[in-house]
Amino acid sequence: MSIYNETGLSLCARGFSRAVFILTFCLAWPLAVAAQSDSARALFADNKAGILQIRIIDLTSGSKSAIGSGFVVSDSGLIATNYHVVQMAAEKPDQYRIEYLSAEGELNHLKLVDVDVINDLALVKADSEMTPELPLAVAEPPIGMPVYALGNPLDLGLTVVPGTYNGVNQTSYHPRVHFTGSLNPGMSGGPTLNQAGEVVGVNVSTAGNQISFLVPVAALQQLITEYRVRGHEVDDIRQRIAQQLLADQDKKFTRLLALDWPTLALGEAVVANELKPFIKCWGGSNSASTKAQFLSADRTCRSEDNIYLNAKFNSGVIEHQFFWLQADQLNTVQFYAYYERLFSDFAPGNKGTEKDLGDYQCDNQFVRAESDLQSNRGRTTKVVFCARAYKEYPELYDIVFLQGTVDDSQAAFVSHFTLAGVSQKNAKAYARKFMGVSKWQ
Amino acid sequence: MAVIVEVLGWGGRSQGHFRVDGPSVTIGRGYQNDVVLDDPYISANHLRLDATENGWQLTDLQSRNGVQVLKNSKTENSSSTVILEDGAEIKVGRRRLRILTDGHPVEPAKELHRLEQDLGRLNRLSIWLPLFLISLALDIGSLYASSFVEWQWKNHIFTILGSQAVVLMVALFWSLLGRFLRHERQFLSQYSLILSVGLIYTLLEWLIGVLSYNLSSSGVAMIMLPLLAMLLATLLLSANFALATNMLPRQRWISALGFVMLVIVVSISARMSEWGEFSPYPDYFADLQVPILQFSTAESTDDFIDSLDAVFAAADRKALD
Repeated sequence: MSIYNETGLSLCARGFSRAVFILTFCLAWPLAVAAQSDSARALFADNKAGILQIRIIDLTSGSKSAIGSGFVVSDSGLIATNYHVVQMAAEKPDQYRIEYLSAEGELNHLKLVDVDVINDLALVKADSEMTPELPLAVAEPPIGMPVYALGNPLDLGLTVVPGTYNGVNQTSYHPRVHFTGSLNPGMSGGPTLNQAGEVVGVNVSTAGNQISFLVPVAALQQLITEYRVRGHEVDDIRQRIAQQLLADQDKKFTRLLALDWPTLALGEAVVANELKPFIKCWGGSNSASTKAQFLSADRTCRSEDNIYLNAKFNSGVIEHQFFWLQADQLNTVQFYAYYERLFSDFAPGNKGTEKDLGDYQCDNQFVRAESDLQSNRGRTTKVVFCARAYKEYPELYDIVFLQGTVDDSQAAFVSHFTLAGVSQKNAKAYARKFMGVSKWQ
Repeated sequence: MAVIVEVLGWGGRSQGHFRVDGPSVTIGRGYQNDVVLDDPYISANHLRLDATENGWQLTDLQSRNGVQVLKNSKTENSSSTVILEDGAEIKVGRRRLRILTDGHPVEPAKELHRLEQDLGRLNRLSIWLPLFLISLALDIGSLYASSFVEWQWKNHIFTILGSQAVVLMVALFWSLLGRFLRHERQFLSQYSLILSVGLIYTLLEWLIGVLSYNLSSSGVAMIMLPLLAMLLATLLLSANFALATNMLPRQRWISALGFVMLVIVVSISARMSEWGEFSPYPDYFADLQVPILQFSTAESTDDFIDSLDAVFAAADRKALD
């Protein structure tokens, strides 16, 4: 239940509608007038040769089916962009080809050489040398500094968007720079430069209304270093992604599980609180409703980490949800009728299709929620545990977990989590930790 | 030799007969005839039958609408004389008549089955009324039990009336069928039968629900409920047939089972397209029962976590499909 939906910025040619065009044009016009500063002009003039339009060409139709932006990071012809820009070509190299179009109108083939799926980065390489190389900033700029995003919004040609650097977002595990400025579809993979012309981030997504996000330049630096150390392109992109996903979840869950989870009261129960920088929480209740026959208070937490795997498949998200219910004016049978309806209505936190995922497989058991590990007493709960396996990336699963007390006729406590892209070992450890923290004694 | 003139109704069933002794029979609307038929399309003196060696010779007495021979006649070559044999059928006006000798064989008497006798005893208000009240109370009670917003009669009255109306319609259907086929309505018997099977199903469904909840298995209910529904539907249909038709027990059972099978085949093939379809949502057993209906013991958290390996193994197998 995120407050905003991040939108990828690659532009699909087929989705280029007139309505979007007019809307964006009207909104962008006054901004462009207001921001005509000398530094923007200079940056544009100095760097336009190093910033390219990246095109994904459908080999069957021979025309572009998606576009994004990219920039030269090494004069040997190495170009950085977003993974989501080149994803189709990475998945089906037989069906798609990657090309660049320079500001001078030069058109050439590109080869995918490495990816960082966690940070949505990709490195592509041209056959010939490319200039100028855009320098990567060594130090993070201070918050409030004006910075300039460059790219090809909506296939309109190279565009400069001025904005403000707002530091690394503290509420997501995978660091993202908060850029206050309008990123638009097609600018994905383009650079954001400081006034000195150094790259401070890679354009990646927007939440609308000038809230946009960049991949910090450190992640790009890391990927370039890995590529240089290896000295050649990655042979098997799918395997590279699988390793990155597996390593990332291992690192993330090791850190998460080692934490002492803070708790909070919800009704008579105790639930896990916000875990910075992993998950953010919101809460609500029906107490404002005069017609409510029962009491329901809930707390919902969600991570802002979304790993883009393809247009219909993402991973990495964690959700927690807790409900405290009291029968109030309902009798036990009515209360359980409502409770059953609530209990049957839980769904995963990430999306996916049959191409990438197996069906969920579930088990349910009555489990004693021990008040502590030594005790043999505790509340009787019904626990549902569902897992679905990733088809392309072995050892990774999506999890839906649900636990509800079934031994009190006037009140109930439900706790729920979903995980995406987690190993069997980490999922089991997470379930144990979660059940130990969130309980009603 | 006496002549039997049988008046036939819907489906060729006898509506009554005339017996005439003597060598000839006259049929018409006029009261001077041996067989008087009240039908405006029949002439006052319509036809005459004269006994011959081979049967009855038919003579049309210049009637307005004539006589149509439907069955069992022969025409003598020499003339246009029509001879009717035993069992012949003719149409006079809008009436169908069957002409028989008094020695015409009849079917052996059917055995009156105990089931029919017993079911017939249900045809009493003292049986129907309690059943009706119980099922009405159950209907209202289950709506009330599953309602978690403020109870208002106006929101539920149509649901309640609707389900009662369906039962009433079904009972009426069988009763009308019985009126046609057996000249016996048995309305309250049919109504009581449907109500009691409904009550039994509701009770067993609830028991199966409690059982599968305690076994933590949706499979129990998924197998047992359709089986139960099949069994009860076959029993009910067979009893409906017994009261409303003249079918023999064997025919009855086969028809009831055949109908239920047909319904099952249709519903299975309707769902066939959904089988094996990928769903992005987990399909888990979400049933809950009130605490006093929870008997099974809970396992420890450790045992539960250890048991999860099987879920991952199943998920792996599913992804390979």
